[in-house]
Amino acid sequence: MGRNPSDLVVFVGKRLLQLVAVLFGVVTITFFFTHIAIPNPCNVWSGPRATEATIQLCIHNNDLDKPPLTQYFSYLSKLVTGDWGTSPLGVPVLPTILTRFPQTLELVFTALLFMILLGIPLGVVAANNSGRWQDHIVRTFYLSGWATPTYLGGVILSIAIGPALGLPRTGAFSSFPTFPEPFHMSVLDALVNLNFSAAVDAVLHLILPASALAFINLGIATRMTRTSMLEVLPMDYVKTAKIKGLSDFLVLYKHALRNSLISTTTILGITAGGLLSTTVVIEEIFVWPGIGAYAYDAITKYNFNGTIGVVIFFAIGVVVANLVADVLYGLLDPRVEWR
Amino acid sequence: MAEPILKVEDLSVDYEVGAGTFHALQDVSFEMKPGRVAGIVGETGCGKSTLAHAIPRLLPEPPARIRRGKIWFRGIDLLALPKWKLPLVRGTAVSMIFQEPINSLNPAYRVYDQLVEAVRIRKMRETGRSPVLFTETKPHDYSQTPSPKASEVLRRPLAPTLPLGRMRRLVGFSRETFRSDVLEYLRLVRINDPETILNLYPHELSGGMRQRIMIAMALSEKPSLLIADEPTSALDITIQAQVLTLMKELMEEVRTSILFISHDLGVIAEMADDVGVMYAGHLVEFGPVDEVYSSPRHPYTKALLRSVPKQYKDDGPLPSLPGSVPNLSALPAGCTFHPRCPLAQPVCTREPGPPLERAKVAQSPEHKAACYFSEEVESLT
Repeated sequence: MGRNPSDLVVFVGKRLLQLVAVLFGVVTITFFFTHIAIPNPCNVWSGPRATEATIQLCIHNNDLDKPPLTQYFSYLSKLVTGDWGTSPLGVPVLPTILTRFPQTLELVFTALLFMILLGIPLGVVAANNSGRWQDHIVRTFYLSGWATPTYLGGVILSIAIGPALGLPRTGAFSSFPTFPEPFHMSVLDALVNLNFSAAVDAVLHLILPASALAFINLGIATRMTRTSMLEVLPMDYVKTAKIKGLSDFLVLYKHALRNSLISTTTILGITAGGLLSTTVVIEEIFVWPGIGAYAYDAITKYNFNGTIGVVIFFAIGVVVANLVADVLYGLLDPRVEWR
Repeated sequence: MAEPILKVEDLSVDYEVGAGTFHALQDVSFEMKPGRVAGIVGETGCGKSTLAHAIPRLLPEPPARIRRGKIWFRGIDLLALPKWKLPLVRGTAVSMIFQEPINSLNPAYRVYDQLVEAVRIRKMRETGRSPVLFTETKPHDYSQTPSPKASEVLRRPLAPTLPLGRMRRLVGFSRETFRSDVLEYLRLVRINDPETILNLYPHELSGGMRQRIMIAMALSEKPSLLIADEPTSALDITIQAQVLTLMKELMEEVRTSILFISHDLGVIAEMADDVGVMYAGHLVEFGPVDEVYSSPRHPYTKALLRSVPKQYKDDGPLPSLPGSVPNLSALPAGCTFHPRCPLAQPVCTREPGPPLERAKVAQSPEHKAACYFSEEVESLT
């Protein structure tokens, strides 16, 4: 009977231990993929006019003449100590990612906020009017978002809808931030520095890429909410809530939605992890200085260290998003035990 | 004679589903006197639950469709009310207890949170803080309002402060009033340890306990009409007896009008003052329970009573009615009972079904039956 808060601590601890194993696997796979697919990246790294001697020097400097396993273990031992290597041009990987990852988080959180604040109520409206015109409109809306390829939706928003609404298009901020950036999140940084015009500017810049990201994935939240609401609405406890004399709003959003949210949360957790990888496309389109654009750059330029670093962060993002979803799941449904 | 608290007139409800139109209720009419317990009895699928759900407008529409009829409740036709006014009727005016206590409490909230909602709604309406449809009109008595005492006037602050306390008093009541109210109703339904129960979730309680909490929730709103839709059918037999005893005791204490739906003739005999017998969506007989049971005026009631098992099984197989309940989407012409009726005559097929009217040779004027040959029912064995 009942649950202890200590159950939750043990649960989160276990899951974080699993995270270590996941990260190890992800690093290993990415390392061997990159190094086996492109055994000699020095031809590219050294540029088109490099001499044979330069290329040999590059190979020697990067240990590429050693067997792959030796390379792997030396990379791993450096990784653990916090030395994530440099890009071919000598830019250290970890500090770059640490300044860019929060920007992506900002984008993803804003998109999630849109999905929750818009997607879930839309699902409730659709379920409450199932089979009527409201339902059809909502379903058309989310299916069109779902069916739109990421790049197409992004491009349409960026070149057509954005300018029509007068929203800034590219990542070029009108007032380039000259204040310290403790969080590396444009809106938060501007607010912390009490620079409100910059904050408004940052929000305006966020709207387009975040809605592109949200619009594509909105369907999942709406559809999940709609489906589980349709299951919950005929339940007796919804009738109980109605017969108490509660208003329709409270019946729907306090009694029915609370129980439907359980499955929506799970889906949102999985989606939030997936959103991180979708940012690769969205950030390229909207010139957003986040980790997605960096990932694209690292992969196309054979930046192995950068690629592995990005993959580590994506993996952390996916695992943490699922963990948060599982914890919320238990908070929403008192019958769930944390195991 | 007092005004009836509930008057159902010609209520007809259809279910429109893929397989066709099912006539769940056909021209059901009856009256309930205030303070009395009316039982509705009938087989599974005869429309009892549809009737129970139609009164507080809880039927899912679609697939249900109220074809015609009126439900007069304290002078208001509930079927004519716009949708947004329905919450005003529910709770304090009409409340309901459902069949499955396992499903009728919200699994996501603690017992206290669910009970306090009911108490809050009632208090808000009683004190006029939220709109009501039915008011107990009492002339306002000014002598009741105490004049401010000198000490209080002195204690009042000279400079105006933030009216937080006043706001809280306007918006709601203190937590303690709610809590004591909730506890009071839990004790009313004979829950021994209400303080502990309050903090539990429904899944931590037994079925009988949950049904008690449902009863407490319904009663805490002091409804003028309580509908109990097979409140004990889903419970096992010992718990059923406990809950029935509890409800019987509560009827004495609370004095509210109750519409008690059951398929169990014995339960109805125990609980109800009046009884209505339903068959295939029709109310075939209605009257004081003693009279209906001792001298039924409809052949179906007679057959139903005959099929109740006696204490000892010594006289062969249980008498049963030949045939089966008609399909509600293809009811027989005329009286729906005629294919199975031992008294059936050509007129029963030819004419539309007999209306529910005062039974011939019945003792009380309240005793009504829907049969052309109600005086001959007595002769049936």
